[in-house]
Amino acid sequence: MSAYNEILDLLIDAAKHPLRQLQTFKARTGRMAVGCFPEYVPAELVYAAGMFPIGLWGGQTEISRAKEYVPAFCCSVLMSGLEYGLNGTYKDLDAVIFPSLCDTLKCLSQNFKVAVPAIKHIQFAHPQMRKIEAGVQFLESEYGRVLSALEELSGTKVSDEAIAEAITVFNANRGALRRFVGLSAAHTDVISPSARHAVIKSGYFMEKPAHTALVNELCDALEALPESKKGKRVLLTGIMADDEAMLRILADCGLAVAADDLAQETRQFRYDVPEEGGAPLCRLAKWWQIFEGCSLAYDPEKTRIGMILDEVEKYGVKGVVVCMMKFCDPEEYDYPLLKQALEDKGIPALYMEIDQNAEAQAQTRIQAFSEII
Amino acid sequence: MSEAHLYTLGIDIGSTACKAVALRDGKEISGSSVIQTGTGTSGPGRVYEDVFRAAGLSLGEVSRVVVTGYGRLTFDRADNQISELSCHARGVHFLVPGARTIIDIGGQDAKALKLSPAGTLTGFVMNDKCAAGTGRFLDVMARVLEVGVEDLAELSARSTERVSISNVCTVFAESEVISQLAAGKTREDIAAGIHMSVANRVAGLARRVGIVPEVVITGGVAQNAGVVRAMNEILETPIIPAPLPQLTGALGAALFAYDEAIKLK
Repeated sequence: MSAYNEILDLLIDAAKHPLRQLQTFKARTGRMAVGCFPEYVPAELVYAAGMFPIGLWGGQTEISRAKEYVPAFCCSVLMSGLEYGLNGTYKDLDAVIFPSLCDTLKCLSQNFKVAVPAIKHIQFAHPQMRKIEAGVQFLESEYGRVLSALEELSGTKVSDEAIAEAITVFNANRGALRRFVGLSAAHTDVISPSARHAVIKSGYFMEKPAHTALVNELCDALEALPESKKGKRVLLTGIMADDEAMLRILADCGLAVAADDLAQETRQFRYDVPEEGGAPLCRLAKWWQIFEGCSLAYDPEKTRIGMILDEVEKYGVKGVVVCMMKFCDPEEYDYPLLKQALEDKGIPALYMEIDQNAEAQAQTRIQAFSEII
Repeated sequence: MSEAHLYTLGIDIGSTACKAVALRDGKEISGSSVIQTGTGTSGPGRVYEDVFRAAGLSLGEVSRVVVTGYGRLTFDRADNQISELSCHARGVHFLVPGARTIIDIGGQDAKALKLSPAGTLTGFVMNDKCAAGTGRFLDVMARVLEVGVEDLAELSARSTERVSISNVCTVFAESEVISQLAAGKTREDIAAGIHMSVANRVAGLARRVGIVPEVVITGGVAQNAGVVRAMNEILETPIIPAPLPQLTGALGAALFAYDEAIKLK
């Protein structure tokens, strides 16, 4: 068994070099790569079609050309995604898949289609009424459209067996990541906030079986170490906390990430796609029906708030860091409910605005929060 | 200088001013200094030397130094650094023990702090990447009105019909003020509008953290009676200007330094 830090280095390295990962895959296999925009895309279909699904979650870049297409009040994750499309960073992608989960995604994806015509554009919609049978049927038909577009791209038909296998492969990855986040909460002396994030993020840029194997190997190594609950335990909630400077400040201020409720992280693997109960496409669609705890999935009961409180209890969390993606309406609508619920329980919360460029005040905010909890 | 006394220093390095307090036995301010330049200038070094002079202390007589403020991470002559939010809470509680809400308006940021009855910080809200509702906003507007920033309050006190400044953005508000001047509005009425604009912006932060009396205002801008008046009016609750408003952060740091010195003794 490799030492945990060797495996960690491999995963951190992959998380830092998405473009290299993509180019290496294409050079080695001669196969295509498909970018999956946030937040929820059936990447299983890309895998089943023999292509490399790569997560596109923006990045730290100067925004120049994207402003020709979208107003300033566009979230950084999509704004930078469009910029990368325009400035050629995404040129090795053969297609991109866009969900239509918020107003910005709906508009920006259409802009992307016009602004970056060289990359095949595939878009689909999730049903608002996701709990009823018609919602599942609708999503199944949408996934059918996505699949047809991928088949057209690759020139081959994708079998049900291939999709079923992809589901199994992806569920194994989800299971490995669930195992990892559980273990990382008990090993905060060696799993820093940055490392925890990188282990999860690297999954977007690696072939799934390889990522699953490495994460499981890391988990084995962690299990062999004595447990440590070093640091003041916090839970991160929001779309993403993909901000290296902020994660470093968390560590510097003595905070440890015990759990997360981030769309880029735990929300992706909290639930498996059902392994039984219908055709593979239908099972993929059912995932969206059983899925809970995200501002982007319509939920009049706002189950998310209670789920966060449960996690706080389960992991002995002392404070919640609300990683508010700047200009994200769905997340902002949930915030007053979450703030009230946390106040009622006497759990300190820190509101951090995320725009993938750490602000000068981040140090002061996080430090003061750490001094409180 | 008696051997029995324990002296600690609190240094608050802000964006536009450096402040320092020397504290005797965790109880009494024995000297203080304010230098009107902030982090990245000669201010931090000067305020450090000046507070020794003001308190009549030599280096060996000070048991512990705590630094706070925006420039706290780059000041290397302190034993520890603590965020300015914790320090303001501590300093204000020392001066006004009944304080439960603190509004701190500094040179480049504004904060609202919530305190427990025992005076510990329990929550806070800060402004974001924007100079609206800060000292910088007042500096810019004072320049347009051709007065010193310290004269804005007196000017606004003579207002008869306050002008509404609707833009939150400092840059847009500046052109709005210029338009109002061009339209023949008096400087007095515009100054009153500027104070109301700052107060409105900061009141928003304060309401987010929750207003519980007593409400204390601190930071450099607390010295501006025009802003305090406007805050009183908007929040419909008496706003108490902190005694020594520019020094509460440094005082809090000196108090933390005292606690640490006692613990280490």
